[in-house]
Amino acid sequence: MPNLRDIKNRITSTASTRQITRTMEMVATAKIRRAQDRIESARPYALAMMEVLRNVARFMQGATHPLLEEHDKRERVVVIAVASDRGLCGAFNSNILRLTEGIIRDERAAGAEVDVIAVGKKAIAYFRYRGVEPIESYRDMTDKPTIADARSMAARVMSGYASGEFDAVKVVFNRFKNVADQVPEIHDLLPLRHEVVEESADLLKVNPEYIFEPSADAVLERLLPTYIETLIYRSLLESAASEQGARRKAMKSATDNASEMITTLTRSYNRARQGAITNEIAEIVGGAAALEKH
Amino acid sequence: MARTLLCEIVTPEHIVYTNEVEMVVVPTLDGEVGILPLHAPLVGAMRAGEVRIKFGETTEWFAASGGYIQVHEDKVIILADDAVIASQIDVERARQALVLAKERLAELEPRDEEYDDIARDLKWAEVQIAVGSAH
Repeated sequence: MPNLRDIKNRITSTASTRQITRTMEMVATAKIRRAQDRIESARPYALAMMEVLRNVARFMQGATHPLLEEHDKRERVVVIAVASDRGLCGAFNSNILRLTEGIIRDERAAGAEVDVIAVGKKAIAYFRYRGVEPIESYRDMTDKPTIADARSMAARVMSGYASGEFDAVKVVFNRFKNVADQVPEIHDLLPLRHEVVEESADLLKVNPEYIFEPSADAVLERLLPTYIETLIYRSLLESAASEQGARRKAMKSATDNASEMITTLTRSYNRARQGAITNEIAEIVGGAAALEKH
Repeated sequence: MARTLLCEIVTPEHIVYTNEVEMVVVPTLDGEVGILPLHAPLVGAMRAGEVRIKFGETTEWFAASGGYIQVHEDKVIILADDAVIASQIDVERARQALVLAKERLAELEPRDEEYDDIARDLKWAEVQIAVGSAH
C-alpha cells in the first residue's frame, strides 16, 4: 500500500513541474511570433538580392569566380551545424547532431575530413564530448541571430574555400515549415550551384539590356559573398523560429503528461485514503466486538 | 502629377524605407548615380555614403553602408548592408564607434581576418557622422 503522504508529495511536485512547463510553453508561443516576424522582415532583401543576382548571372558564362569553381579534390568538408543554446525542445538538437554525424560518416567513408562549425551551446558541447573540436563556435545568439553572426560565418567559410582549405561547405539546420513542424535539412552552400546561373538563360530573352555600374564582373564579385551571407542568415533565422516551435510542442506534451499523471495520482491517493479509513473502521469494529464478548 | 519611381531601401534585417519618389541619388563605386523616372535598367555596386531621395519639395537623406542598387521599370531597389535615415542617426554613438574602430584598426595588420570588418565599421561610422551632422 503506497504511503498517503508520499503520494501527496508526488502530486505537489508534479503540479509545480506542470506550472513550469506550461509557462515555458506560453513563452515559446510568444517567441515564435517574433521569430517569424524576423524571417518575414528578412525576406524582401533576400528576394531582391536573388533578383539582382539573376540579372547579373547571365553574364557569368565565361566569368569565373573562386566561389563558383568546383575543386578537383574533395579532401576537407565543412559543416555548419545550427543547433540551439538551450535544451527542452524535443528532438530539435538531436536531429541536427544526428544529421551532422551522418555527413561526417559518409564523407569519411569517401576519404574526406570533416570540420564542424558549431552554432549553439548544445552543438558545441556535443562535438567537444565526441572529441571533435569545432573550428569555430557561436553561442548565446541562437534565439536572436544577427546578420553580423551570419557575416562572420560566411567570411570564414568563403576565405577557406577560396584558399583551397575546404572543398565543400554544407549547412544543417531546422527549417521552419510551420508552427507545428520543423524539418531538419542539409543545404549545400559551396561550391555555389550553377542553377542560379542556368535559370538566367530564360531571363535573357525577357529582360532588356542592363547597364552595369561599374561592370558585371565587379558587381558579381561583391554579390556572391552577400548571397552566401544571406543564405546563412536565413538558416539561422529559420532555426531560431524552429527552436521555439519545437520547444512549444515539447512543453505542451510535457504539460499534458503532467496533467494525466496528476489525475492518476489523485485517483490512487483517494483510493489509499479510502482504504485507510476502511481499515480503521474495521479495527474499531473489531475492537468493539472483542470488548463486547467479555 | 509628375511621373514617379518606387524606391525601396532594404537591409538584410528589415525594410528601411519605401515610397513613391521623383529622384534617387546613390553613391556608386566611382561616383554617384542619379535616377529619374524612365531610367534604363541598371544594376550597380554601391559604396558607403549618402543616399538622397527627392519628391516635391522634400528631400530625405540616408546614410548607407555598401551594397547594391537595381533599377528596373521605375522601381529602384537599394540593397544596403546597413541604412538609416538622417534624422535618426545617433551621431554621438557613431563618434564613439569611430574612436573604437580606429583604436582597434591601429592594433591590426591589413592581413588579419578581422581587418576588413573593422575597416567597414569605421567607414560606416564616418558616413553616419557625415550624414547625421549635415542634416
